[in-house]
Amino acid sequence: MPDSWGFVLAAYGLAAVVLIAYWRRLVRRERALGAEHRSTVRRA
Amino acid sequence: MVRIVGGVTLVALAAGLVMAFGVAPREVTQGNVQRIMYVHVPSVWVAYLAFAVVLVASIVYLARRVDGADRLAHASAEVGVLFTGLTIATGSIWGKPTWGTWWTWDARLTSVSILFVMYLGYLLLRGMIEDPDQGARYAAVLGIVAAFNIPLVHFSVYWWRTLHQPPSLMKPGPGTMPGVIVAALMVNFVAFSLLYVYFVAKRVNLLRREAEAAA
Repeated sequence: MPDSWGFVLAAYGLAAVVLIAYWRRLVRRERALGAEHRSTVRRA
Repeated sequence: MVRIVGGVTLVALAAGLVMAFGVAPREVTQGNVQRIMYVHVPSVWVAYLAFAVVLVASIVYLARRVDGADRLAHASAEVGVLFTGLTIATGSIWGKPTWGTWWTWDARLTSVSILFVMYLGYLLLRGMIEDPDQGARYAAVLGIVAAFNIPLVHFSVYWWRTLHQPPSLMKPGPGTMPGVIVAALMVNFVAFSLLYVYFVAKRVNLLRREAEAAA
């Protein structure tokens, strides 16, 4: 069977993109909550 | 603590890549395309783990009404859906060069797709109900019911005639894979499990902060 490196790269590339995107989403949400919290404290 | 888990996870994932591409040999029958196994199989393992955690946390929530258990179930379901999606996608990519098709309505592929849709429904249900207590209660019931699909997915390759091969590792009896391939797979199992712990810890923390902000 041919090695089909393109499929290997596609699988690993897709996994990397999906996992990094989810991690970034969590980090962004953390930052947004932190900013909301700081603005609430400042107002109080 | 979560940062330390994140750091260890990164090292473990790098070790997993080294094992998959540098240490594990080229498989005789499939060639290098078999290396997709080192991302596909650990992904489905994490999905099983995540949904088992949803089951236990849902039972605990219904029995004791502990908010932490509900948050754990919610976070674990989200991460489980992520890894189930990854399992389906990487399996499809692996299927094309080995089976000659991206997709077939085979028992394993169909049952894992049902699993994916059920937990996607779990997340949608949580998002649809405004009252958090009611949402948590309904989700816990669905989290318990949906878990019955996990053995169906795993044993589908034995119960029905399928194109998908039977498990090589998660099965009783002696293994049939060479030691170095098992070792590479094990490193990736550990790496993906750590990634699951890291994601769930971060998500639980976020859900707690969101609940505090809303209160």
